[in-house]
Amino acid sequence: MDKIKMKDERNVLEVENLKLYYKVSEGLVKAVDDVSFFLRKGETLGLVGESGCGKTTTGTALMHMPTPPGYIAGGKIILDGEDIVPLKENEIRRRIRWEKISMVFQGAMNCLTPVYTIGKLMSETLQEHRKIEKTEARNIMVKYLNYVGLSEDVLRRYPHELSGGMKQRVVIAMALFLEPKVIVCDEPTTALDVVVQAQIINLLKELKEKLSLSFIFITHDLATEAEVSDRVQIMYGGKIMEIGTNQQIYGEQGPMHPYTRRLLEATPRLHEEVEELAFIPGTPPDLLRPPQGCKFHERCDVVMDKCKSQEPDLIEVEDDHYVACWRCRK
Amino acid sequence: MKLAEMRDSLKDFWNEFKKEKTGVVGLILFAIFMFIVIFEPFLLPFEDANSRWRDISYWQDWPKSAPPAWTNWFTSDKKAVTEQLTEFKEVSQDLGAMVMKEFTFDYDYQFDDAPNDIIIHANASGQPIVVVNIIRPDGNELEVYQSTYNAGERPKDLRISVDNSSRQVIYNFAKKYESPEDLSKVKPGLIKTTNGIFAKAESGILRNPVALKGNYQIKITAILRSDQDNMETPYIVLPGKVSGVLGTDSQKRDIWTGVLAGVKWALLIGILTAIVSVAIGVIYGVISAYLGGWKDALMQRIFEIFVSVPLLPVLIVLSAVFEPSIWTMVLMMALFFWTGSVKTVRSMAMQIKEETFIEASKALGASNFRIIFKHMVPILIPYSFSSIALFIPGAVVYEATISLLGLGDSQIVTWGQILSDALHSGAVLNGLWWWVVPPGLAIAFMGMAFAFIGFSMDKILHPKLRTR
Amino acid sequence: MSESKYLVEVENLQKWFPARRTVKEVFKGEQRYVKAVDGVSFKIERGEIFGLVGESGCGKTTTGKLIMKLLDPSGGKITFDNEDVTYLDHVALDKYRQNVQMVFQDPYASMNPRFRLRDVLEEPLIIHKKGGTKAERMELVKKALNEVRLQPPEEFMVRFPHMLSGGQRQRGATARSLILNPKMIVADEPVSMIDLSTRAEILHMMKSVQRDLNLTYLYITHDLSTARYFTDKIAVMYLGKIVEMGHPNDVIDHSLHPYTKALITAVCEPIAGKVNRIKEVPIKGEVPSAENIPQGCRFHPRCPYAVKDCWEQDEPVLEEVGNGHFVACRRYKEI
Repeated sequence: MDKIKMKDERNVLEVENLKLYYKVSEGLVKAVDDVSFFLRKGETLGLVGESGCGKTTTGTALMHMPTPPGYIAGGKIILDGEDIVPLKENEIRRRIRWEKISMVFQGAMNCLTPVYTIGKLMSETLQEHRKIEKTEARNIMVKYLNYVGLSEDVLRRYPHELSGGMKQRVVIAMALFLEPKVIVCDEPTTALDVVVQAQIINLLKELKEKLSLSFIFITHDLATEAEVSDRVQIMYGGKIMEIGTNQQIYGEQGPMHPYTRRLLEATPRLHEEVEELAFIPGTPPDLLRPPQGCKFHERCDVVMDKCKSQEPDLIEVEDDHYVACWRCRK
Repeated sequence: MKLAEMRDSLKDFWNEFKKEKTGVVGLILFAIFMFIVIFEPFLLPFEDANSRWRDISYWQDWPKSAPPAWTNWFTSDKKAVTEQLTEFKEVSQDLGAMVMKEFTFDYDYQFDDAPNDIIIHANASGQPIVVVNIIRPDGNELEVYQSTYNAGERPKDLRISVDNSSRQVIYNFAKKYESPEDLSKVKPGLIKTTNGIFAKAESGILRNPVALKGNYQIKITAILRSDQDNMETPYIVLPGKVSGVLGTDSQKRDIWTGVLAGVKWALLIGILTAIVSVAIGVIYGVISAYLGGWKDALMQRIFEIFVSVPLLPVLIVLSAVFEPSIWTMVLMMALFFWTGSVKTVRSMAMQIKEETFIEASKALGASNFRIIFKHMVPILIPYSFSSIALFIPGAVVYEATISLLGLGDSQIVTWGQILSDALHSGAVLNGLWWWVVPPGLAIAFMGMAFAFIGFSMDKILHPKLRTR
Repeated sequence: MSESKYLVEVENLQKWFPARRTVKEVFKGEQRYVKAVDGVSFKIERGEIFGLVGESGCGKTTTGKLIMKLLDPSGGKITFDNEDVTYLDHVALDKYRQNVQMVFQDPYASMNPRFRLRDVLEEPLIIHKKGGTKAERMELVKKALNEVRLQPPEEFMVRFPHMLSGGQRQRGATARSLILNPKMIVADEPVSMIDLSTRAEILHMMKSVQRDLNLTYLYITHDLSTARYFTDKIAVMYLGKIVEMGHPNDVIDHSLHPYTKALITAVCEPIAGKVNRIKEVPIKGEVPSAENIPQGCRFHPRCPYAVKDCWEQDEPVLEEVGNGHFVACRRYKEI
């Protein structure tokens, strides 16, 4: 099979015009609507946005696992030189999922089957994909448990015997041990305490460095994103509003897109005294009947007439900085 | 406002329910049952069947253990169907000292097997002389009866087939046509009068009668000799070999009437028992779950006692002690049925108890009563409805079982009662299938109707069970 | 008696839950406890927003429930408006409930999904027999909805919870807590389940409501950043006790307790340049179970500055070190 050439050699994942819709009795919910982005090797790309923006849906789409009644309605997901969208389920299960791309799901640590030991859970997944001897499997499991900072006697434990942080580490180990190229993390630290959260974030950074991994980090928390992601992508109403580097979004200059700007203003700071915290009046758009033009225009403070009827494209306004806004043209 | 809300939620529910085919079937069956109950006065062939089911005199004109009329479709030998003749031509003649009244009835006989009897009823007073003539299609006229009718005595009707003189008349008539050897084999006292009346006048008329089909006239002449004598509004009943929609039982009761009359009782017993049981069960389960701790444990132990008591023997004992009426039966069944929903309700209530809005109500200062009845029980109402529907078949069958054992309410007609009578009269042994199958089917259909409704409701109200 | 400056005074409040015992323990007559709240003391001034901050399992929610009297204390004293309310009989409890109300974390779960908003808001009025006729009660409902800016109230009254957005539901829940004119509101993570862009709106509404109605808040959260923005005073809890307390500026910018310092270091901030740094959080290990509280200072196993005294001596007491700043650590001056 011919490999598709990546647009940029540095990329390990390229998403083009991805559409994921949900078919409901009232019509189509356009959860992810024509979204294009890329992930470079060895970097963490953050997907950030509020509830309903499409970030989690994008994550599951990358794993080719849309939650029914969702389905991939169009677009390409080019991973390691092949477009995985047209592939059949058993092929994806065999070659792609967990092999080339894996996922740490939201609340995964609470989904570890309570009646199996960690060792059994891990070896089951491992054996599913590789036909290897028991001892070799065990070696791999121990190696990755060590990577995530756990000792090998965790293998004998049951999930309820472990703390939240330890369970999350197990889940991360399982996402890694088949050595995929891309790991998608969906709110991996949201349910954890602040201190444990910092530890897990440190762990992800170390692993990225040590094993040359590429991450997609999905969260609603801008603060966490700032400490984790090299580049950040802000989603709203199923569309990408802005993609920028950590410096471009969180630096002195501030982001360009009005939504990102307002979202940052609404984030409370620990070490700053804020007189009055900003907020964005209104509610996220109904994805069943999305608004015309720019999805954010109804809540935007610098809205122009053009925004109400025409949807702005995501264009590069400076090196590595993409914005979808009529106000932000070069 | 509340009514509008109910209407809306009912509309939503109905939209969902429509999609469940079995549910709709169940609903149609239920509608049929309700139709029967509402229009019972018009549908019942016998208006007073309800009160006079056990009154022998009410049914006396009907044949005993007769199969349904439509069985004729399946036999080449058509048996006479029970018929009432009410139309007549009246001719009155004044003969000076006496008045002669003549009533003529037409009967079109097209069957192969004669009616069992000719029963003549009339309003009579005094002592008129009554003569009954039958004019056959072949022209022969038989005077089957002639006597002084004493209005004061009983019985008040005239039954040709049991009248010895009538029998003699037929014998004499038959003698003319029967061969001497056949004649010798016949005992005059054992002749079936009606067989002879309606048979062809030929050899074999007594032993192998062949039906004489055609128009018969039955003429009743009353000779009134004084002012006190009178006869008017006669009508004739010809009890057939087959009768009615579902035949008759050994007490001559029309079974179709019995089945129709039984619908309302089955519905009443079923629905009432189900509602009372589920109401008790839900409240018990919720309170048990809400109180928790040792109170919950105690309530569960009490519950277990009720569950382990076998219902039927207790009902039998109770029925022996108390005069079984339908209300005490409902009460007794509810007393044991309520346990059915408790466990499920309790586990559902335990989940609801943990909900934040319950805690919020407590924080507001809500009393336990308010939390249980305003918050928890309403959430369980949808489940209750489907539960009620599913309890009904059980209640109907239980009532039938009790009646079968002869412990039912003797004042009413229920399907169980009909079956009980059938059992005790050896209906099955005698092959009287029309007595056993219809009430049994009725019970089955009623059970089916509510089971379908109940399962469909359950599917809608318990989203987890949906297959769509 | 003159009105005290403090609306709420909590002294040495305790809540110990009996732990499940092994058979051996039952025979021996031993009983272990989960010491969820293990001696907590603080005072809330009238009109103040007091924040109770900590990670999960520290006892902050349990403290809130004790103050709400949804739980009975195992020890200690609670004084409300100059009255001892530690143990209340039925009648006094009823009156107390009209004075202290609660807003819960999950705005959807805290309302019965089958009640319309007007029924949700009417419930406290019915329970406490306020507002004689239905019409009068509906007026009070409308007034409460106006207070939280759910306008026009007529439109929102008839909606079910699932017809409201998260922010609107939380406003509704706040309206419910206001309708009896309480003196104090206990808010348990009221915005943690609300979208970021709406969070400040809700907090803004809560602040204006507080000003208009002269309310006092007990604000319980794990989010230090929001606590800094919203509260007038912060108390940091760890394993059932307060380890540091004071003005947010002092507690956050000049933390004295090692645990507070660790928390502050661990919190993420939306600032550039942190992405490539491994954060050094000065804390070891994991939170122990509240069934096995460590000897001496309960934080010592995780404290990078712990010395022998810290576990051999008695537990350090919460002491004032100046300007309303309290800390419970014997080594705070040295670190």
